[in-house]
Amino acid sequence: MTRPSTRILQAFAALLAVGFFLLPVAYLLSVSFKRPDDVLTGRFWPTDPTLANWPAAFEATSLSTFILNSVVVSVLSGVLTIAITLPAAYAMIRLGIGKKFLPQATLASYIAPPIVALLPFFFLLKTIGLLNTHAGLILVNGLLNIPVAFWLIAPFLRRVPAEIEEAAALDGANRFRTLVSIVAPMIAPGIAATSIIVIILSFNEFLLASGLTLSDSMRTLTVGISLFQGDRLVNFGQMAAASLAGIVPIYAIALLMQKHLVEGLAHGGVK
Amino acid sequence: MTSIPEAERAGRGRLAAAPEKASVSPRDWRNALWVAPLVFSLIVTTVYPTIFLVSLALTKSTLGKPFGAFVGLKPITRALFDPNFHSAVLKSVLFAFSSAIVELVIGFALASLFVALLKAGRYLLTLVLLPLMTPPVMVGIAWKLILAPSGGLLNGILLSWGVIDQPMSFLASPVPAWLSIGVADLWQWVPFVTILCFAALVSLPDGVREAAQIDGAGPWQRLRHVILPLVAAPLASIFLLKLIIGFKLFDLVYVLTFGGPGFTTTNATFGIWRLAFEQFDVGRAAAQTLIFAIVIGIVTIPVVRLHKRASEYYS
Repeated sequence: MTRPSTRILQAFAALLAVGFFLLPVAYLLSVSFKRPDDVLTGRFWPTDPTLANWPAAFEATSLSTFILNSVVVSVLSGVLTIAITLPAAYAMIRLGIGKKFLPQATLASYIAPPIVALLPFFFLLKTIGLLNTHAGLILVNGLLNIPVAFWLIAPFLRRVPAEIEEAAALDGANRFRTLVSIVAPMIAPGIAATSIIVIILSFNEFLLASGLTLSDSMRTLTVGISLFQGDRLVNFGQMAAASLAGIVPIYAIALLMQKHLVEGLAHGGVK
Repeated sequence: MTSIPEAERAGRGRLAAAPEKASVSPRDWRNALWVAPLVFSLIVTTVYPTIFLVSLALTKSTLGKPFGAFVGLKPITRALFDPNFHSAVLKSVLFAFSSAIVELVIGFALASLFVALLKAGRYLLTLVLLPLMTPPVMVGIAWKLILAPSGGLLNGILLSWGVIDQPMSFLASPVPAWLSIGVADLWQWVPFVTILCFAALVSLPDGVREAAQIDGAGPWQRLRHVILPLVAAPLASIFLLKLIIGFKLFDLVYVLTFGGPGFTTTNATFGIWRLAFEQFDVGRAAAQTLIFAIVIGIVTIPVVRLHKRASEYYS
């Protein structure tokens, strides 16, 4: 067994590391309660806390529009990603459709950085009239997240016992019914984790959203925040409040679903 | 391309007959329906952009008016001999490799620590999910507030400890600016690496550690000769994944430094973005994008090979 002194040292190192990973978010939170002159002290805690920054951040920018745009785009693009990936992954892994080539091509397509897609998609959306629309962003995010979703969902599909499908086949269920009513419920945690991760990826996306939206009414949260930094929100307190406003719900979802998320990520990486 | 080979091997071991038994007649046209939307989207996200970028690069193209007069290979040769573009690509490559190496080492160490802490480690693991869920733009803003010359947390601490006499502007000089981007990237991605390493470590057979301990191997020998060979394959996958993510660096540069001071933190992605969306020189941006994509392919191939060898040799 490990000696007690080593134990204490390990616990201390782990807490230090976790502290480092919580510090920037905690500082952002602290700054969001600081008055402008208080920000300049460079101390961690606010000396004279105020709630004023939060409503002010919403008044100074179209923050609520940005958040709404981000939610609409990320949730619907997540639905699109799963709707395309789940049946395809099932067919590739359980039915052997696409041989070895298709799964490899799907994963390999993730290597190209998003900048490669930016200009072609700009002109594509412009041609089909979807530039600067929710639908355009949903389409782009939905398609580009497919490799990640496949990578995450594949290990869950591999673990479904073959007997279950054979039994369903004997009962006369067709393959699509088998997927929807037997396989999907079995891997529900995997589908949930995958959905949340691709939704968060779209929510956090910046490069494509900045190039493919042109007006304030269509901006997503990340683009809106980036444009206002150093513009209307020179006030650090308001900037911190605005940054946190949209991501607090994400944190809440992440903490509620932590078990599934860690499991989902862990299975994808190793197995 | 990456984790498929060993994944299939693992799958075959457990579910030996599953794919064969379940597979259907390959001539059945209905089979194609399952994957048709995915194949279509792969074409839209890979084949179409490639063809489109090539045509943009061969013509005089602006954001408002693409595909003007045919100019031949001029934009491509121009990009090939542009020293600014060379250094931007070099920065992207150096950043991707150095951040992947550093973050894999730290992430692996942290994962080992969490594994050693048993149940408490699992709780701590869920806490480090937070950075992973934070949008990179907000990560940039949080670190910008910490690093700010006036009122930044870091300057405040360093001043009060007497380490420095006057505030430093970390983002205004080349090396500290890159280090700042590196720290912010590390903050965001080490948790991801840690979760993946943690999963690799807990999947080791239970007896491995104890057996090595009884043999009288020290901690380093155990790590070097027992644990590392066993997790070499997943570590290679994780390295490859972080390398690919590293090439996508954009948001942190945009928020923290905007490519500055001067052009010191302008990497390929950021340079191309400015060319296209600030100077509207889409033809040149397309040429640079194509070259950048080819460079990524070339520098990633050895890593993919290494990954393949690691998963063949060690499993």
